[in-house]
Amino acid sequence: MSARSAPSLRARLSGLVLAAVGLLWLAALAASYGRARHELDELLDAHLAQAAALLVAQSSDDLDELARGHLPAADPDKPRLVLQLWDGGRLRLHSADAPDARLSPRTQGFDTRRVAGVDWRVFSSVQGEGSLVLQLAEPLAQRGHLARSVLWRLAWPLLLALPLIGLGVWLALGRGLRPLQRLAAAVAARAPLDATPLPELGAPREVLPLLQRLNALFARSAESLARERQFSGDASHELRTPIAAIRAQAQVAQGARDEVERRTALAQVIAGCDRITHLIEQLLVLARLDAGATAASATSAVAPLLQDVFAELAPAAAARGMALHAAAGDAALRLPLPPDLLRSVLRNLVENAVRYGRDGGAVCVEAGAAGGSLFLSVCDDGPGIPAEQRAAARRRFHRLPGQERSGAGLGLALVERIAEVSGATLSLDDAPAGRGLCVRLRWDAPATKR
Amino acid sequence: MRALVVEDDPLLGDALAVGLRQRGYAVDWVRDGLAAEAALQAEPFAAVVLDLGLPRLSGLDLLRRRRAAGDTTPVLILTARDAVAERVQGLDAGADDYVVKPVDLDELAARLRALVRRGAGHASAVLALGELRLDAAAHTVHWRDAAVDLSPREFALLQELAQSAGRVLSRQQLEQRIYGWGEEVESNAIEVHVHHLRRKLDPSLIVTVRGAGYLLPKPA
Repeated sequence: MSARSAPSLRARLSGLVLAAVGLLWLAALAASYGRARHELDELLDAHLAQAAALLVAQSSDDLDELARGHLPAADPDKPRLVLQLWDGGRLRLHSADAPDARLSPRTQGFDTRRVAGVDWRVFSSVQGEGSLVLQLAEPLAQRGHLARSVLWRLAWPLLLALPLIGLGVWLALGRGLRPLQRLAAAVAARAPLDATPLPELGAPREVLPLLQRLNALFARSAESLARERQFSGDASHELRTPIAAIRAQAQVAQGARDEVERRTALAQVIAGCDRITHLIEQLLVLARLDAGATAASATSAVAPLLQDVFAELAPAAAARGMALHAAAGDAALRLPLPPDLLRSVLRNLVENAVRYGRDGGAVCVEAGAAGGSLFLSVCDDGPGIPAEQRAAARRRFHRLPGQERSGAGLGLALVERIAEVSGATLSLDDAPAGRGLCVRLRWDAPATKR
Repeated sequence: MRALVVEDDPLLGDALAVGLRQRGYAVDWVRDGLAAEAALQAEPFAAVVLDLGLPRLSGLDLLRRRRAAGDTTPVLILTARDAVAERVQGLDAGADDYVVKPVDLDELAARLRALVRRGAGHASAVLALGELRLDAAAHTVHWRDAAVDLSPREFALLQELAQSAGRVLSRQQLEQRIYGWGEEVESNAIEVHVHHLRRKLDPSLIVTVRGAGYLLPKPA
């Protein structure tokens, strides 16, 4: 947040406004100068012509006198008007500060000439019968001087006003940008994990999108934080019970009153250890998924993984007299999941089916391609899950009411999360046989990779 | 002493039931809140070990209902929830003790004994009635300063009579207090145990009140 690397919005806006105002003023000044110059020329030309007309009306004798005595240069350095009276090619008379050379070859009308190093505006007029030409001239420098003084008079109040305008713009912008400062102060004053939204009421239109994004961000981070907290809370809670069970069973084994009781308790200790191992594995997969660390494009073959999972769960299935079936299909079928996740999906779904299915029932796993999508389904013929409880069954650590079998309620939540990450949809349906539950994952065409 | 274990986790519930039986309790184990409520309504329990996260009816709701119904059976909450707010909530709902999992079975048994003792108004773990001394923690009985060897069931029966010294307990009440559900009780089991106690201690210690039951008189 160094001030050097972050340009100030206020300074930038002030600069832009001042530059725009300055440019506009310059343009206006240039236009007024041009206009003033033009009007001045017209006025002075008219004045020149009028003076010439007056002089032409005089007799040449009077002119002689004028030129000699009454038409002196008012200021020897800056003559206002000079006069020449030509008789044919001869300069009959001229005012004291007039050049010797003829001011204009014309005999009638206006002309602009450079004579003797000075730019002149000349008005020529024929006097009397036509042999005499009167030329009255004014130095152009004098006109320029006049125009510039007009320009200066126009410009100097503006130059004086510019810093004042700059100050005004600066102050106004400071005021106008106050909502931003308030926003910054509000954000700065927040506790790190504060998730309450910033008030959007009364925020200017330009700030509102930023505010809305910020609030959306707060909401999202609060949500993920809450999920994380909930998860770690649930996880520690869920680990406590199996640990308590293992500990208590071990103590029961210690205090066993006979060999049968001791053996039973020790078997329970081992079962508890297996359960907690599985639980920890599930938690690790979930944590990794939540952290977003998965290979997006991996695929794996179903058949070998399913074989492994069946082999692992065969004893549990046999204990309940259940049969595990893999529906015949494409033996080389691959699903868009990395092997460890696909294995986790198969393991959790088949394990759930074995756990919650019916004694002597069957579990059927089917994977295949249908209509451009890939699917995987695991069905049992047990009591199923009532439709109104299916949404709840997907929640983490949720165990359905009246459930007697052990489990932490993570399996389905884990599968759902994996489905989410790999772009599959998860559905819980009645099994086709009319009883039992079918858990189905479907990857639609875009995710289809074979 | 008969205890009710309310725990939905099969592994832990089994361990608590067997472990407490090893420590001299008659134990009934139920896995959900409604079953626990039914059991508490039907049978007399000396103490209850209650999990909070139960199916059908939560432990706290069950506890509130029982307390509202005037049930004063000592209740020990055994749960994975360890937040202070949750402990406070549990105790305020009417629990007498709050223990966070995991728990040592000996400690659990001792806490239950303490709850029962306090409920009965005794200060010490050792009951002294005249020349009879009964140590509930050590499971030992002394008669005239000599140790007497009793079977667990005989000890439980003597403990029940001693705790209610001066009051008549019917045969059915005694059966309910020292046997859990599903335990086979011979029709003359109580008579047999009383007979053994009289033989091992003193024939005049336990008085038979005809048609009513048995009585351990308070020493004069």
